[in-house]
Amino acid sequence: MPPLTAERASSQHHATEPGAEVLRLTNVTKSFPGVRALDEVCFDLRRGEVHAVCGENGAGKSTLMKIISGQYQPDGGAIRYKGADTRFANSLEAERAGIAIIHQELNLIPHLSVAENIYLAREPKRGWFVDRAALRRNAQACLDRLGVDIRPDASVKSLSVAQCQMVEIAKALSLNAEILIMDEPTSSLTESETALLFQVIHELKREGVGIVYISHRLDEMAAIVDRVTVLRDGRYVSTHDFAATTVDEIVARMVGRSLEEKFPERTSTPTADVLLSASGLTRKGVFHDVGFELRRGEILGFAGLMGAGRTEVARAIFGADPLDGGTIRLGERTITVRSPRDAIDHGIAYLSEDRKSHGLAVKMSVVQNLTLASMDSVSNRFGFIDFAAEAKAAKTYIDLLSIRTPSPHQIAKLLSGGNQQKIVIGKWLFRQSRILFFDEPTRGIDVGAKFAIYQLLDRLAAQGIGVVLISSELPEILGLTDRVAVFHEGRITAVLNTRDTSQEDIMHYASGHSRPHASGAATP
Amino acid sequence: MSDLSTTTKSVPQSAREPGEPKARMMNDKKKDLIQKFAALASLLLLVAVFAMTSDAFLTVNNGMTIALQVTSIAYLGIGATCVIITGGIDLSVGSVLALAGVVAALAVKAGVPVPLGMGLGVLVGAFCGLLNGLCVTRLKLPPFIATLGMMLVARGIALQITGARAVSGLGESFGELGNGALFRIVTIGDDGFPNVVFPGIPYPVILMVVAAIGVAVMLSRTTLGRHIYAVGSNAEAARLSGVNVARVTLITYILSGSLAGLTGCVLMSRLVTAQPNEGVMYELDAIASAVIGGTSLIGGVGTISGTAIGAFVIGILRNGLNMNGVSAFTQQIIIGLVILLTVWIDQMRNRR
Repeated sequence: MPPLTAERASSQHHATEPGAEVLRLTNVTKSFPGVRALDEVCFDLRRGEVHAVCGENGAGKSTLMKIISGQYQPDGGAIRYKGADTRFANSLEAERAGIAIIHQELNLIPHLSVAENIYLAREPKRGWFVDRAALRRNAQACLDRLGVDIRPDASVKSLSVAQCQMVEIAKALSLNAEILIMDEPTSSLTESETALLFQVIHELKREGVGIVYISHRLDEMAAIVDRVTVLRDGRYVSTHDFAATTVDEIVARMVGRSLEEKFPERTSTPTADVLLSASGLTRKGVFHDVGFELRRGEILGFAGLMGAGRTEVARAIFGADPLDGGTIRLGERTITVRSPRDAIDHGIAYLSEDRKSHGLAVKMSVVQNLTLASMDSVSNRFGFIDFAAEAKAAKTYIDLLSIRTPSPHQIAKLLSGGNQQKIVIGKWLFRQSRILFFDEPTRGIDVGAKFAIYQLLDRLAAQGIGVVLISSELPEILGLTDRVAVFHEGRITAVLNTRDTSQEDIMHYASGHSRPHASGAATP
Repeated sequence: MSDLSTTTKSVPQSAREPGEPKARMMNDKKKDLIQKFAALASLLLLVAVFAMTSDAFLTVNNGMTIALQVTSIAYLGIGATCVIITGGIDLSVGSVLALAGVVAALAVKAGVPVPLGMGLGVLVGAFCGLLNGLCVTRLKLPPFIATLGMMLVARGIALQITGARAVSGLGESFGELGNGALFRIVTIGDDGFPNVVFPGIPYPVILMVVAAIGVAVMLSRTTLGRHIYAVGSNAEAARLSGVNVARVTLITYILSGSLAGLTGCVLMSRLVTAQPNEGVMYELDAIASAVIGGTSLIGGVGTISGTAIGAFVIGILRNGLNMNGVSAFTQQIIIGLVILLTVWIDQMRNRR
């Protein structure tokens, strides 16, 4: 490959030094039948900066991204790219012009190698054949530029999500991207992976790439973001230097009001009776000798790094995966759980971290999803559904959880993430579950909806339900739980009273260190 | 419309959300209607065109003929719809119907009373369906492969046990199911010949209506039906909601197999001969009728009413083209194009 900077400089005359404006959108408007998704939105991007776009779900972030990346064409307003008025007919055109987008759902082909993915459909050729040596060499060069340690021959399916993201970034670089749009890049990364990603982003900034960064994780932004633009209800709200503003101010602009607190006050305290106790739970190679107690009215946190076994333990108790050993007790009674059906019959529910693939039947309606786990209570003994009873139940939970849906018969996949999460919660409340495992319930949900879910967790606990909250966000664990069980490599390393612990303590136990210093370790 | 009031009530709520879902829903409803009407309208269009081009087309007699011809596609299509809604496919029905029909005939030939023999045929179909279902749910074979295997095995057995020869000499009572009719009115004319006043409703047509209504009610009004849709929409979510996914899947294959068994008995009865070569490629007609009727091959979507329309589209096309003297080869081309067109429309609907 020829040095591309030279090619750019010769073919086009525009400012390439860092800080020069590369993209400006002025009063961009986009309507869909019945709705104005973007209303006179302005946005600009400089070379070598990270410009974050914040807003609640439905604020117009994705529409804006799709307009920048050429997927949508604006109805009104102007786009200036590299000093010229531009209109991309489609995303391919935008990509050729140097605008790359990295979607939340990564777009790699698992069976191909890293190098093959980077140069997919652009393979270096020798005659009719792929020049494998050149392919590997070029891919290696791209990866080296990012300073990441991934072999070009590695098969993509053997990579972690973070590594896949690096490959996507490498691919964008190989396309000479001058603008990189990143949609929720850290949503499924661990802290160390996030740190690595940020290193790469710093590298990209130094090379003069302009980065549009979308994320719900405002706390992380300080490390990389230069400016932030807030959208609300499809309208432009403001743009600020990130250093000159605070997360609270950004949130206030996003929701149009100030959020006093990120977490609601807990309204109840747990009782002494034990709802669920587990001891010696083992699944070979996944977790080992896990034991904990969950009390009536308690919110118990499961903290730990990704892959520490938190989700796996919850799934095993729920009967979704087999157990190799250990006992589960409901109060005094030992129970055996062979399938989710058994667990559900015992009043145990599990809300998956992966709503779309494990929680919702996305093609079914809101009503049908709400009643799916409780069909026996809305049907007669011959299995005929009582539609009136079903509609009544659905209405109850739509109102109770304030699920925003145009109709109970709306298809679930058309609702926002927060509302989908509420449907799944409603499903288990209608089932009268007494023990609820929430696995990352607020992942990918906007700030307002998060707060509603926190309030709900508190309300559930106040009603005497036992809640297990699995979360990778430590503030969430500290803000909501009564006690926290910390996982490290398939074991519980500590059970702490949340009141007496700190983020640092939990991180210490989560990374396998024994007691960092005198802290309030509760009896496991 | 019990849901009307709630719809209007929740509008202010949804208006707060800067309306993507609402707009999309309007589109969806419109698209769904277009899809339903497209199938039904094309059916009516076909009838209108053929009625104009052929005098004999729009007669009670021909109507019954069409209904009778459609029955086998419809039985198989009903089973196929259930299997496809779960995200599966059943390629074996054409062979299974041959095996079932042949077994029924051999049993009758061996002295088993006709109703029992036919019952045995349906059971053979159900058993093949059970094996299909077990291969899919226990051995975790892809449905395409499992039923492809059954397609070859069942056909092979049918040929083997008959020595590849037709089983004939089955007696008049064997033909009753396929050729009899309810409310048939015949008067004896002055010349001594029978005069058919009303051809009656053929038994196969009655069975088709019963099966269609029964399965439609099962799908739309029972827990089992709801679970079938849930499995096809998201099997893992269904399992984590306590749905016994393996059992539900198994039931759809057994249903498909049983209906194939019934098809076999009806077809062989109509000919009063059991042909081990009967039903080749019928599985494709069945799948085509489901797909024309809007059933999605990805699973989670589909209705019996749609499949019924699909079956009649195919049946009327064949009948009408025949009456207009279109050759069998041209018919194939036209039906192939119709399938492509309707699936394309379906894809348009799903591209959101």
